[in-house]
Amino acid sequence: MLKIDNLHATVDDKPILKGISLAINAGEIHAVMGPNGSGKSTLSYVLAGRPGYAVTEGSVTLDGEDLLELDPHERAAKGMFLGFQYPVEIPGVSNVQFLRTALNAQRRARGEAELSAGEFLRVAREQADALDLSMDMMKRGVNVGFSGGEKKRNEMVQMGIIDPRLAILDETDSGLDIDALRVVGQGINRIMRKPDKAVLLITHYERLLEIVEPDFVHVLAGGRIVRSGGPELAHELEREGYGAMAEAAA
Amino acid sequence: MSLLTLPSNREEGWRWSDLSALPQLSEREPTGRVPTDLPWIACEREGPRLLFVDGRLDETRSRLGPVEIGPVDVTASDHPLARLAGRSGWRLRLGLDHAPHGLVQIVHVSTGAADHLAAQIELDVDAQASICETFIGEGWANRLTGIRLFKGSRLMLSRRLLGASGFISQVDHAQVGQGASLVVASLAAGGTDTRLDGHYALDGEAAYAEASSALLARGRQRHDANVVVRHAMPSGVSRQVWRSVADDRAACSVAARVEVARHAQKTDGEQSLKGLLLARSATINAKPELEIFADDVKCAHGATVGELDRNALFYLGSRGVSPDEARALLTRAFVADALDRIGEEEVKAAFYADVETWFAGR
Repeated sequence: MLKIDNLHATVDDKPILKGISLAINAGEIHAVMGPNGSGKSTLSYVLAGRPGYAVTEGSVTLDGEDLLELDPHERAAKGMFLGFQYPVEIPGVSNVQFLRTALNAQRRARGEAELSAGEFLRVAREQADALDLSMDMMKRGVNVGFSGGEKKRNEMVQMGIIDPRLAILDETDSGLDIDALRVVGQGINRIMRKPDKAVLLITHYERLLEIVEPDFVHVLAGGRIVRSGGPELAHELEREGYGAMAEAAA
Repeated sequence: MSLLTLPSNREEGWRWSDLSALPQLSEREPTGRVPTDLPWIACEREGPRLLFVDGRLDETRSRLGPVEIGPVDVTASDHPLARLAGRSGWRLRLGLDHAPHGLVQIVHVSTGAADHLAAQIELDVDAQASICETFIGEGWANRLTGIRLFKGSRLMLSRRLLGASGFISQVDHAQVGQGASLVVASLAAGGTDTRLDGHYALDGEAAYAEASSALLARGRQRHDANVVVRHAMPSGVSRQVWRSVADDRAACSVAARVEVARHAQKTDGEQSLKGLLLARSATINAKPELEIFADDVKCAHGATVGELDRNALFYLGSRGVSPDEARALLTRAFVADALDRIGEEEVKAAFYADVETWFAGR
């Protein structure tokens, strides 16, 4: 589904990604772990097309199509979803209005019929209930006045409503307490653990991976993937830390 | 018209104005062509309707109700544009505890030349009214409105400045009595330049006055506003919410002042002047002023000018919203602060529809 080949990227002319190659097939969940500053968030932003992140070499394709040629909203319409590490607050635009606009924009781009207000609210309520967010909160400004945990749950509500094929989740577990972590983890499984979908899960810690079991784990250090393996690699990292692995790669 | 004496930019109150089109507009002849579709707002409770074409009432298409036509008693003042508005026009005087049936709607159509008109609104004790004026067409529509609100009366005055080209100038002179409430909400979302002047005096104790406006400009358009809220008596409350949006090489300028007299203790005045630049070549001027002589007052003012939040634009994009739609969504949210002050849902909906039309014209 997603094929990253020798990806190099810079931010403000500073090289951050230095040759990442990764293939994610439908039905797979890949975890990318790594220390601070290893390029994890940069990878997620480059994949989603954030302005200011320049690809200097390599390619990324989604179902064979050049992803890097597309604007962020076009990537979303192709089925890509980015779960933000720091979800953005948008005063004056309600969650409901935002998501209905987003969902219908994607549906239009795919040649599908738009959802009516009633149909949309039914879907929104279902997803908000599943993640313990009240509809009252959904009517408020996007992420305005939300706690850190509520913002992350809101990301999952959005993912549930938009129902993407490929989710790139950037430290979705950061800032969550144990109960919220479970709710969010179960949300990822419920929405994305399907044969026709795939997930790239970026995280610091193993604890989310106990709920969302990855098929593959990759260690990112210094802008490169220094090791890949199965779920057992996450346990090893939890035991031994990133230090030895990052040094070995350097 | 050689009699047209206009202020120059050297005068502080006119420093951001561009009145250069007015002499030429004054010399033109009106075409008299009125569009068949007029921007009446469909209301559940239909009220009086007045259609003015080039400043003259079209009786066949008007339904006056309690509104009268004739000489009006307004202070012409020394305001250079207000002076031109004359002493005749429409008048709404409501007696004790009276209210017109439904929304009073006034549509002003300019057909290529200059037209001047005055108006007088006088609400007796506990009377109330809601008036919506809509300006369309091309030319120069120049208006002076005198407002007098007696104890406990309430006036909602909303204005849609939608002229396709030319100039719209509006001068308000208001006296707000004890416990009375005046809300003036304006939206400039057409192709004309505008100049809004307001002098709102809170002359009674615990009076309330509010001026909220959204000014949308593109191309080489200029919107220019100069408003003074004067607290003359204690315990008054005033709110000014101005939202300016400028694209291309357009300019929006707002000078807003709150004056608090020495004995106007317990005054609560707030001013919020915000500007949004949709292009680096556009201009926003904001000049908030406070002049306070009383010592026990609460006055807040804020002025900011910025661009659309890039993080928000990317966030919206990552969810599938196109750049144009994202800009529109965020800009709508920006002006909502000013438009949400409008009480009637039908009027508010019309204002939001006007904003949509403005975006569609991009």
